[in-house]
Amino acid sequence: MDEQERVTVVLNINGQTRVCTVARSERLLDTLRQASCFSVKFGCGSGDCGVCTVLLDGQPVRSCQVRTADVAGHTITTVEALATQDALHPLQRAFIETGAIQCGYCTPAQLLVAKALLDRNPDPTEEEIRQAISGVLCRCTGYVKIVQAIQRAAALLRGEKVGPFGPVTETWLPGHAPAELLGRYYRIAENGSPLPPLVISPPDMQPLRVVGTPQAKVDGVKLATGRPVFADDFNMEGMLYGALLTSPYAHARIKRIDPTKARALPGVHAVLTCQDLPRVKYTSGGQSYPQPLPYDQVSLDNKVRHVGDRVAVVAAETPELAQQALRLIEVEYEVLPHVLDPLEAMKDGAPIIHDEPDTEGIYDAAHNIVHHIEAEGGIPAAEAWAMADHVFEGEYRTSQQQHAHLEPHVCITYWDEDGRLVVRTSTQVPFHVRRILAPLIGLPVKRIRVIKPRIGGGFGNKQEMIIEDLCAHLTIATGRPVRMMYTRYQEFVSSRSRHPQIMRYKIGVTNDMRVVATELRLIGDTGAYGTHGLTVQMVGGQKGLTLYNAPHCKFICDVVYTNKPTPGAFRGYGSTQCHFGIETLMSEIADRMGWDVIEFKRKNWIKPGEEMVMSKALGEGREGFEQVVRSSGLEQCVQVGVEAMRWYEKRGNAEWRRGPGGAKRRGIGMSVMLHGSGIAGLDLGAATIKMNDDGSFNLLVGATDLGTGSDTILAQIAAEVLGVPVEDIIVYSSDTDFTPFDKGAYASSTTYISGGAVYKAALQVAEQIKAHAALMLGLESGEGMLLRDRQVIAPNGTRLTLEQVALSSLHQHHQHQIIASASHMSYECPPPFGAQFVELVVDTETGQVTVERVLMVADAGRVINPITASGQVEGGIQQALGFAHCEEMVYDELGRLLNPRLGPYHVYRANEMPDIQVIFVQTEEPTGPFGAKSIAELPLDGIAPAVADAIHDATGVWIRELPFTPERVWRALHPELAV
Amino acid sequence: MCSANDIWHADATAPIQRITDDPNSPQLLRRLTLETFSWQMRNETSIQKALRSPRTAPRWMAALLALGATVTVEGEATEMAVAHLLERRTQGEVVALHIPTSGMVWGEACVRRTPADDPIVAVVATVALENGVVRQARLALTGVWAEPVRLASAGALLAGRLLDEATIHTIARAVENEVTPQGDFLGSAEYRRAMAAVLTRRALAQCMHFATGE
Ligand code: FES
Ligand code: FES
Repeated sequence: MDEQERVTVVLNINGQTRVCTVARSERLLDTLRQASCFSVKFGCGSGDCGVCTVLLDGQPVRSCQVRTADVAGHTITTVEALATQDALHPLQRAFIETGAIQCGYCTPAQLLVAKALLDRNPDPTEEEIRQAISGVLCRCTGYVKIVQAIQRAAALLRGEKVGPFGPVTETWLPGHAPAELLGRYYRIAENGSPLPPLVISPPDMQPLRVVGTPQAKVDGVKLATGRPVFADDFNMEGMLYGALLTSPYAHARIKRIDPTKARALPGVHAVLTCQDLPRVKYTSGGQSYPQPLPYDQVSLDNKVRHVGDRVAVVAAETPELAQQALRLIEVEYEVLPHVLDPLEAMKDGAPIIHDEPDTEGIYDAAHNIVHHIEAEGGIPAAEAWAMADHVFEGEYRTSQQQHAHLEPHVCITYWDEDGRLVVRTSTQVPFHVRRILAPLIGLPVKRIRVIKPRIGGGFGNKQEMIIEDLCAHLTIATGRPVRMMYTRYQEFVSSRSRHPQIMRYKIGVTNDMRVVATELRLIGDTGAYGTHGLTVQMVGGQKGLTLYNAPHCKFICDVVYTNKPTPGAFRGYGSTQCHFGIETLMSEIADRMGWDVIEFKRKNWIKPGEEMVMSKALGEGREGFEQVVRSSGLEQCVQVGVEAMRWYEKRGNAEWRRGPGGAKRRGIGMSVMLHGSGIAGLDLGAATIKMNDDGSFNLLVGATDLGTGSDTILAQIAAEVLGVPVEDIIVYSSDTDFTPFDKGAYASSTTYISGGAVYKAALQVAEQIKAHAALMLGLESGEGMLLRDRQVIAPNGTRLTLEQVALSSLHQHHQHQIIASASHMSYECPPPFGAQFVELVVDTETGQVTVERVLMVADAGRVINPITASGQVEGGIQQALGFAHCEEMVYDELGRLLNPRLGPYHVYRANEMPDIQVIFVQTEEPTGPFGAKSIAELPLDGIAPAVADAIHDATGVWIRELPFTPERVWRALHPELAV
Repeated sequence: MCSANDIWHADATAPIQRITDDPNSPQLLRRLTLETFSWQMRNETSIQKALRSPRTAPRWMAALLALGATVTVEGEATEMAVAHLLERRTQGEVVALHIPTSGMVWGEACVRRTPADDPIVAVVATVALENGVVRQARLALTGVWAEPVRLASAGALLAGRLLDEATIHTIARAVENEVTPQGDFLGSAEYRRAMAAVLTRRALAQCMHFATGE
């Protein structure tokens, strides 16, 4: 059968008859997107992710696995048909209300599967729900709120009454034990699972009107209804399709590259190779100016340094033609020796990965050492080590984890009517992209506009300029709009990942449990290019050494090139790896000394009022600033966690450990952690707030909501100050032409830094409103006025609505626009704190580890939105679990990735997640907006060491290398076997 | 789908979802169908297609091998064992699947990174007993050869023996000696061989407990 033969098929799409002429091989996914059903998403094309799910005659199918020609005459339903003109479907409502939508990229598929489930089973159990949605991956939510949303919608559809969805709240009164606080929470638990979050407040914390309340995401409706809001949901007249040819070799020189045949293919408009582009050096990491050296990349090089490295790009009229053109490019490689192991790479005689003369700033190119860092803080080393009664050392290794966000990197570039280049891209750093891109394409910054639409997850991988330069080059070459999207294979080998690290920790302790000195020797594998190599290791070292803030700390680090796909920024940013090392060694020390692990950690973790020993020596890519911990709820986090887990009943309890029977052993483990809130002295966010005729406000921010809910958080901060509900704040984010600067979404900075800017701008607007109201009321000044309930209230009780103030200021008296812009930066980076607890089962005969329960108790300062914040924790735990015991990029000896698909790589699915609980212990951070600190990255930091601790509790064995795969655990349990 | 004479029959052109929807389908097959295929895959994939792609769902295939499933193939005079499909003995279109449903107890065990991951090694066993003595046994494994395989030798070794701890131990050893796995990133050859023994023991122990009602 001719697969390219065109056939005409009649489909019923969302109740409408559509006649489509398609190639016999065309996927239903492509047909539907061409028919403007943009809710149907591409995630992998190989059947692994399920985000392309639609209903075929009411039953879920993956549209990338179904050929359009095979479903002629059938009925297809997409999310576009779920809501009626007047009302959202109860499932859509429930998804919005419960916070089941983060980035929203998987949401249409989840909604459709849920609909099919409830159509056949109106009262499913939690297990049935998890089983039903197990075919759709979500990388953001940990599935907790998706399950809750489906339960809630099922109840609504059964006609049951449901109350508002929100956290359980408690106040921790002086003298009360955590058990009392937890009592009510667990009584609620008896009524169902999963549990809502618990928010515990100190008695002196004043409740606010909008901040601290469970507000629905401001972008919830458009995501729930599948509107075309992502970068790729956009068709342009004459748009071409870009595609990238990647290297099959780990290390090779391109001796000859001949695009002649590809260029001759009808429908191909451009083929670009290293011969066609100027050699402009850059580094792709999206960081503030000046980005740390070395600038070791060019858009297209004559040398490839890893399998998946860039070789050439094409633009053609269809994606199929573009692929065909790639196959016609003739490349002759001179294959060079390669090196995959960072320790080997540092040896004399190792292949030199960056031997080009035009890269500056490599510390020791001959030994592939990009950076060598040495830093120390506190009292002199000799003095500190002399105090130690015992010195412990341990080596810990972590693996290369891939972000696996479900929306691939995607970018559309085009010339606008003024001859300016528009870059519509799925990025976390639109302003950095604009600045980094400009010299590469030879345009000034002012001729480039970067638009960030909604992002289908990023987790750090979009804090990098990955494809924008290539797409722009193609638009410049062709004069046409060009769209480029990575394949899932390219996401694995041509985007970024988490740096694998080898850590050697040394800790000196006294007989009375005091940590007196800590040293970390770190080797960070930065793969083929430097990008975030320097900063990730510095942050890792800083966090790893600050948690116990020993009187003396020392950090020695080599950042090393290898011929592996390049790691970059990944949620946790070095801290996740370094926490695994420090926390595991601390638990090992407690075990070896016979100390209570919690008492030992408690005695040593950093306390409020302490100066962070390494904060000045280790900034981010440069020297940092002296900092003091001003707020910490770590003590309370641990107390609550210990009580909630019934820690002391289980830990070391042989009977409990034998619980599952046979060869299975149960274990319980814990870890503590800290992170940061932005980058001290470097991050800048800005915001503009403008008042409208009806008393509503436009909030323009450069901050980049990548699914975390930051637009909502920022709206809540503005609404709180301005005395209006969140619905009166219209957020527009991230367009370099229309929003003020923001460094972007990374380093857990949005709430703290961008939120600080919004807070300042809102205060200024509030002052303007009060001043104008005073004028209207004939008062001397606005002093003492309050903004509340969409009104401005004078001290004498007279009131004006904000609408009256707006109309007056815009049209009547002393006409002016009430508007303010503000920016915010901070020389502080207040750490959020947390404790994570894990219960698991180890099968001692197979080595399989099954995590059954995870509890995180977190201090994120004042929680601005408990729904989005707990969602961050739940999703973070899913990623952290993968890091701990299944996710790992594995290579063959030629440097080819063995598991470049979401299936074999394995991301946790809904039907295998452990029971997850989230508790917040609120504190007031004096430097944060309304007392807030960050939350997004913290949940990544403690799971791996808690799992290691629990495996030890179950089996008596310490495992120092991630992930804890069955064979690795089995070998640890059978040391008699040779490796 | 229908059952007659202790045989469950399925139209092989039907989607796999029919197996989970049919309350009369063999319990083992129903369970492993649910565990192996997502709902979407069950709707998209016909039974015949799944039978022709054993590497997509090796554990499911192993269940069919252990259950003694046979197929009717267009152009073939008689029903043939599912194992023959694996051996590519016929290219004809599979039109029906038949599974004996009576007189067997079953057990299965596997090891995987996480509870819903594809197994690294899996073993499915079925045993027919008469007075505690094995009349017939089938043992199928995945992860020890490129495709799922039924170990006829282990079944033969079991026949005529009392199904007890000692027998199970002997069979597990025999399986460990017989398999010749290839290692990959999920598990080395050594690990897979060791797991073949562990999981065989567990699958057969389940059969024993099933049979004795423990
Ligand atoms: S895009 Fe269809 S399953 Fe991933
Ligand atoms: S909300 Fe599910 S992938 Fe982002």
